[in-house]
This record gives sequence, C-alpha cells and structure tokens, in this order.
Amino acid sequence: MAKPKQEGPRPPAVRRQSKRIVDNGQRTTDFVPRLEVEIAGVLFQNPVLTASGTFGYGREFAELLDLNRLGGICVKGISADPLPGNPPPRIYETDSGMLNAIGLQNVGARRFLEEKLPFLRTLRARSVVNVFGYSTEDYVRCIEILNEGEGIDAYELNISCPNTHCGGIVYGSDPKLTEEVVAASKRAARFPLFVKLSPNVTDITVFARAAEAAGADALTLVNTFVGMAIDVETRGPRISNLTAGLSGPAIKPLAVRLVHQAARAVRIPIIGIGGIAKWQDALEFLIAGARAIQVGTANFYAPETALRVADGIADYCRRHQMHVDQVVGSFKAAGGTA
Amino acid sequence: MRDEIVTVVENRVLTGGHFVLSVRSPQQAAAARPGQFAMIRLLGHSDVLLRRPMSIYDVKMEAKGTVGSNGSSKRKRIARRSRSPALLEFLYKVVGRGTELMSRLEPGDHVGLLAPLGHGFFAEDYLAEAREAGEVVHVAGGIGIAALLLPARELAQAGVEQRLFFGGRTRTDLVGVAEFKPYVTATVLATEDGSRGHQGYVTSPFEDYLRRRPDRSMLVLACGPWAMLEATVAICNRYHRRCLVSMENRMGCALGVCLGCSIRVRGEGHGAYERVCTEGPVFWAEHVVWGERAEA
Repeated sequence: MAKPKQEGPRPPAVRRQSKRIVDNGQRTTDFVPRLEVEIAGVLFQNPVLTASGTFGYGREFAELLDLNRLGGICVKGISADPLPGNPPPRIYETDSGMLNAIGLQNVGARRFLEEKLPFLRTLRARSVVNVFGYSTEDYVRCIEILNEGEGIDAYELNISCPNTHCGGIVYGSDPKLTEEVVAASKRAARFPLFVKLSPNVTDITVFARAAEAAGADALTLVNTFVGMAIDVETRGPRISNLTAGLSGPAIKPLAVRLVHQAARAVRIPIIGIGGIAKWQDALEFLIAGARAIQVGTANFYAPETALRVADGIADYCRRHQMHVDQVVGSFKAAGGTA
Repeated sequence: MRDEIVTVVENRVLTGGHFVLSVRSPQQAAAARPGQFAMIRLLGHSDVLLRRPMSIYDVKMEAKGTVGSNGSSKRKRIARRSRSPALLEFLYKVVGRGTELMSRLEPGDHVGLLAPLGHGFFAEDYLAEAREAGEVVHVAGGIGIAALLLPARELAQAGVEQRLFFGGRTRTDLVGVAEFKPYVTATVLATEDGSRGHQGYVTSPFEDYLRRRPDRSMLVLACGPWAMLEATVAICNRYHRRCLVSMENRMGCALGVCLGCSIRVRGEGHGAYERVCTEGPVFWAEHVVWGERAEA
C-alpha cells in the first residue's frame, strides 16, 4: 500500500509559528488578535452583543444573519409575569435617533423558558437575559423563575427603563434603591449579574459604585436618554407615554463619556452601549474602557451591523497588533478630563 | 423574507406629490403576496435611520427598455429574460423627509429592501370568503389605495365582482385609478374639496351603496388613514358586512422585535396589543379596538 503523500496545506504547527505575536514592536501581517473577552467568568467569542429590546429573542434574525458569529444576545426585558406594554404610538424617529416607549411588553419568564430559551441554547452566542420588575420582590421572583433555565449565561438587571412608571428607572435613579435591588437580585441569581444603568442621573459614578458595592458582576451602560417630541400641528405628544427613551447614533458621544467616567470609578467590567452603528463607534467604547459592547437601534434598520462591527474590530486589532483586551481602556488622554 | 440591496428601475412622477418607485428584485417579487409590505432603506443618510414601511403596490414582469422618468442619462435597457415577476413597485406620497429623499431616487440608484413582510390578505383566507360573498368592495383613502391593487387583481382572476370607493383630499390625490379599471365593475371617487367625484369623505357614497343593497352579501377590504378606517368599520358594523383592514403604522424594525407598531386588539393582558408588522398588516376589523388611535 502506497503511503499517502504529504501534500496540501502546510502543517498547522508551522502556520501557527508564522502567526506568532511579535512583542518587540516589529510589524507582522500574520498577527492573529484574540477577540474573546471574559466577563464575570462568561467567555464571549467576540466583544459584540446585541442589545435588549432590539433583537427579540434571537430567532427573529436567524434568516438575516449568522447568529453563531455574535458574541452574545441580550434578550428583550423579561418580567416575572407577562406585560402588555404601553398604548400606541410607541415610537418616533428623530434626527439620527429614535424615541421609544414600548413599556416592556414581554411574554413573561415562564413562557420565555419554554418557548424562547431552547433556541438560544443551541447558539454559540452567549445568552444574556434582561430582567425587569416593578419592585425588588418582582426582580427576585423573575430571577428565581429564570434560575430553572438551562442555557442562560448571565442576567442583565434592567433598573433603567425610562418608560414604566414605577420600578425600572426609580431603582436606577436612587443609589440606595440601586444597592437594594442589586443586592437582592445577586443573592437570588444562579448566573452572573450584569446591571444596566440609566444615563439620566447627575453622576453616573455614584450609581456605578453603588451597583458594584451591592455585588454586580458587570455594568451595562447606558440605557436610553429620556426625551420627548411634540407634533406642532396638533400640539400633542408624538408618543402616548409623553416621554420616551432616545437611542441611535445621536446619543453616542453622551454614552462614550459616561462609559469613560464609570470605567475609572469601578473595577468590574463594563459593557458599553449607545448609538453604535459601525466598528469605529464600538472601538470608541472599548478604548474608553468597555470590555464589550452592544449594538442596539442599528439592528432595526441594518441587521448585519453587529457582524460588521465584529469584523471591523478584528481588522482594527490586526492593523494595530493588539488583542481586544489590550484595546480595552487604552484611551490616551492628551490633557483635559472627561 | 429577504434583506437585499436593490436597483431602482424607475421613479415615476404622478400628480400631487405621488410617485411610483420601481425596483428590480426577482426573488422578493416572486415571493410577494397581496397585502404584504416592504421596508425601504435609504442608503447614505445617517440622519434618517429607520426603514420606511410601504405597501407592495404592484409586482411586474421585467419590462423591455424600461424608461426612467428622472432624466434619460441613466436610462437603462433591461432584457426580457422570462415571464416571472422581477419588479416590485411602491406607490408613495411625499409627506416627510424619508419620502422626500425617496422622491429624489433615480434609475440605477440603490436602496435597501426588506421584503416581503407581514400577513397579507392571503392569511385571512379572503379569497374563499370573497367567493362566498360574491362581491368585494374596496374602500381606499389616499395612499391606502396602494395596498389594494394586488388583491384586486387576484380577486379578478378568481372571478369575483369588485367595486372601488376611493377618496382623497383633492383630485390630485386620486392616483392609480386607471390601474383598477380592468378589475372593477364600478369606481366611485370622492374628494374633500369636491374637485373630483363626490364632495366629502369616501365613506358617504360607500354607506349609500350599502344602504341601497341591504340584501347583497359582500366582503369589504379597506386601507387608509385611521379615522377613515374607523368610519368604514362603523358603517360595516351598521350594515353587518365583514371587513378586512390593512393597517398603517410607524415601524421600527418590521421584524417583530421593536414592538413599536403594536395596535390595541381584542385581547386581555399580554394579548392586548398585536404588531402591525407581524400579526398584520391585514386584520379583521372586529379584532381591532378602534377607540385607541395608532397614529400620532
């Protein structure tokens, strides 16, 4: 019997050798950046997640992009009991942004476990479940139900929704209440706990520290900015809830500044979000100190955004000979402070 | 449903700030059914973020030597390849920045197109219902006419007798009437300013028609502004006629995730709202709660 010829691609060992990182400052085109990031023990294959409320339960986008290439998926805010949401109109487009006041319409924790989680479990993207409640007991009860689920990688505590009258933002705009709800949720949670903070506060560092002190494993910032739009013809509100959350590219500079501030105030990782529509936007957040980022509103009009952002980050890292974790917090302040 | 970048074949100018945008997209055109819609994304305008929902007005075979209305420099000749649908058409009126930008599109330009979307008339088994009723009455208000051409053609092919009631603010709003001619036995027009047809709302001649024919069974298909739909549905209820409405609303994603286009329907708790993009845009009139307005 003839021995099979040693042909075809070069042996892997040799390839790996040629792609080895050069630490002495020499440029090499073969540099393979590490894109994985670790947050509270959860390993994301890349730092790009899709934001809660903009990506449903993942499956809705399965026809449009390869979900397995995402770092993670944050599902629509889940409450212990199903919620109907606010009366219409619920959304309104503004220049480079949009207002929404959906009111956390969702299927409830039990139906989420039965109908939505089994699909998410099959993906390489990590599943982060956004949790919402009207009282500390609500948050805890929701987490206790979700704890039974297999395939949840982390919780994202939503204490910053601006569109529900009690709960949500009430917790996110009082540091004592932030501590209370985070501590209670952390005690109940079987999975790591991320806390999504509101930007509608005087000093973000106070809330970042409060959440950290209460046991948060990571922070997501920021949620939407409270805004309003008026129909000048009718002189009435554009959104039935009167006020609504502003998202989209319009808020990006505001969000980058808050991430930068918070990153210097706490030791726990930060997930940056706010108007990311291209890879350069994502890098601003990473450089400002976020370990991962979320793409939100862009999913509505350009579902391929998250994957383009991930590819762009990889290209950037190759070009700059840096691993993602080296980019994180690499901001060079040339005088001045944020 | 597919998300594609498609080429503009034509952007035809009609009266009163109305246009018909024609794009080439064979796969999306082949999949489109009456009552479905598309999301059009304007490329290269970072201030206009969201896609615009548009009824699929018409599906056409590829035309030979299609001529653009906006200058002959970009005139394109497209060879006839087969008799399968290749063009999708959208009838729209310039009402804001998005549609204003749309009106500037020229043959050869590109737009993003997510289509076909939604549960159209087909989902309600309206053909069976229409055959049983024996007659279909279309009631259209303004740009709402755009949702009714495809069902009218399908119903005509099924041999169903049809009638069109079409109203607008003024005569230049009454676009596309000729397109319906082959499919309907009668067209009744109305304008608020009386510049064409009956003066007043289209719902008046529609109600007259129902009043004159108390024994005739019919199915009503309606599309238009909220107030006009609400009035049409009230008339249908008064005369015990079933009505399918094609709803319009602002939309964030049309993928069912933003929940921005939800309207109030007859349901309790979590079932109190349904998405126009996913459960609709076509609903049985009795399923919608008409007290709460969907539009700002």
